[in-house]
Amino acid sequence: MTETTLADLAALATMAGPAFAPPESARLLDAIVVTAKELFGAAACSIGLLTEDESEIVFTTATGAGADDFVGTRISSGTGIAGWVVSTGQPMDLSGLRADQRFARDVAEQSGYVPDEILAVPVATDERVLGVLEVLDRDVARVDSERDMRLLTLFANQAALAIQAADVFAHLGRSLLDAAARVSPGVQIANVIVPTPRNGSAGDLAEIASLLSELRDAGPRERALAVKVLRDVLDYTRGRDRRRR
Amino acid sequence: MRPAWSEQFDATLLAPVPRALPDAVSREWAWGGATGAGIDVAIIDSGIDGAHPLVGGVDSAVAFHFDPDADDQVAAETGPHDDLFGHGTACAGIIRRVAPQCRLHSLRVLGERLTGKGLVFAAALRWAIEHRMHVVNMSLSTGKSDYYAIFHELADLAYFNRVMLVCAVNNVPGPTYPSEYATVFSVAAHERKDPYGFDVNPVPPVEFGAPGIEVEVAWSNGRTITSTGNSFAAPHLAGLIALVLSKHPELTPSDMKAVLRAIADNSR
Repeated sequence: MTETTLADLAALATMAGPAFAPPESARLLDAIVVTAKELFGAAACSIGLLTEDESEIVFTTATGAGADDFVGTRISSGTGIAGWVVSTGQPMDLSGLRADQRFARDVAEQSGYVPDEILAVPVATDERVLGVLEVLDRDVARVDSERDMRLLTLFANQAALAIQAADVFAHLGRSLLDAAARVSPGVQIANVIVPTPRNGSAGDLAEIASLLSELRDAGPRERALAVKVLRDVLDYTRGRDRRRR
Repeated sequence: MRPAWSEQFDATLLAPVPRALPDAVSREWAWGGATGAGIDVAIIDSGIDGAHPLVGGVDSAVAFHFDPDADDQVAAETGPHDDLFGHGTACAGIIRRVAPQCRLHSLRVLGERLTGKGLVFAAALRWAIEHRMHVVNMSLSTGKSDYYAIFHELADLAYFNRVMLVCAVNNVPGPTYPSEYATVFSVAAHERKDPYGFDVNPVPPVEFGAPGIEVEVAWSNGRTITSTGNSFAAPHLAGLIALVLSKHPELTPSDMKAVLRAIADNSR
């Protein structure tokens, strides 16, 4: 492949953005809201994701009442129930909303449907909040409904994993393609990866892969030492994470 | 519905605790005739709607926001502000109900942007300690381990300055700061509705249970709604602490924990 072709490909990859995510991730998010709606006996269920600059929430996935018109809705992350959830990383449960028409209208703007009750939980990784998962008018007479906050959080955790996997894939793919466009004979690909705020981990991984490949030329003792050092680093990291928990 | 930790306060599971202080330390001794007068209570949250009938005014307001050019990357603006979410107003309404004559101070850390919110939260807590607030209600927390040491330092600073930090624990399982520290009053929701009722948990780290499940609370624009969360349990306890302090201003945080343990619903 010529350099020009690679450069074109990298530019395309950058523009394509989320299209580089595995196609299963969108389907998985759809499945999560459909399953949650059914399990909770709810009128509607949706997922809103924070934009890159975290100023807005975009509802990307929805099912149930009002869903068709609601997908694509953007709201400020600095107000309302969804805003509170992404700002604090805490779930929120509100009921008796229809008693106050103004409130119901505000919520409708954020949910595509006028509910009497809303349960919203953060979609989050250990590092940051990615968005919000909302269930509207769930059946609270169900057996074990007192555990709903925790149960919906488990669904949100699945959504976070799907989004995170798509995100890593997209950024790693773009970083590597971009680097491939600028690599030349005798230059390691890890050395031409351009660090960005979002591909930091991708760059690190590529560098680790590059260093490991150099170990091919080292002797068995050096390789054994490298394995020991890596194991020590991982043991330390795991122990530190446990202590923090 | 039950937030995390609230199951520990289920009536069938909660063990009685020995009261440890003489019978003379009763609720009548602790807060009989008290109103919260003279006690400064800071609420670190989304702002407070002081015009809400259940809040009845705020005595001061400071909004904190992330500013890369400011000292410590946080800027503070003193003056009236709105509650952009309603949550801070809910907490203020609960405290006002329990301790009607306390002074409320709104320290707004939420509602503008998400960047640097841990730094902003820490700056507001430092402000509360430096301004000698008697009680600080924090119905929010951070789970980021990067802030573990900062909040630990602030929790110790508050303890040594007799500032009582009341913290809601997470609504879902997971570590949160500063609610996990031993010097703070960590609170989860129990199912009962009596605003003066509270439990002591003999199995920490969550030490206190107070109303927070399907409670009616004030919200923004003069509204009231029904909500569930450990968020609403914390201001119940903060109000009670303000009440006790207004009658017994000499109490330290550790004294206060001993008094609360003696007069809790499950104290025997």
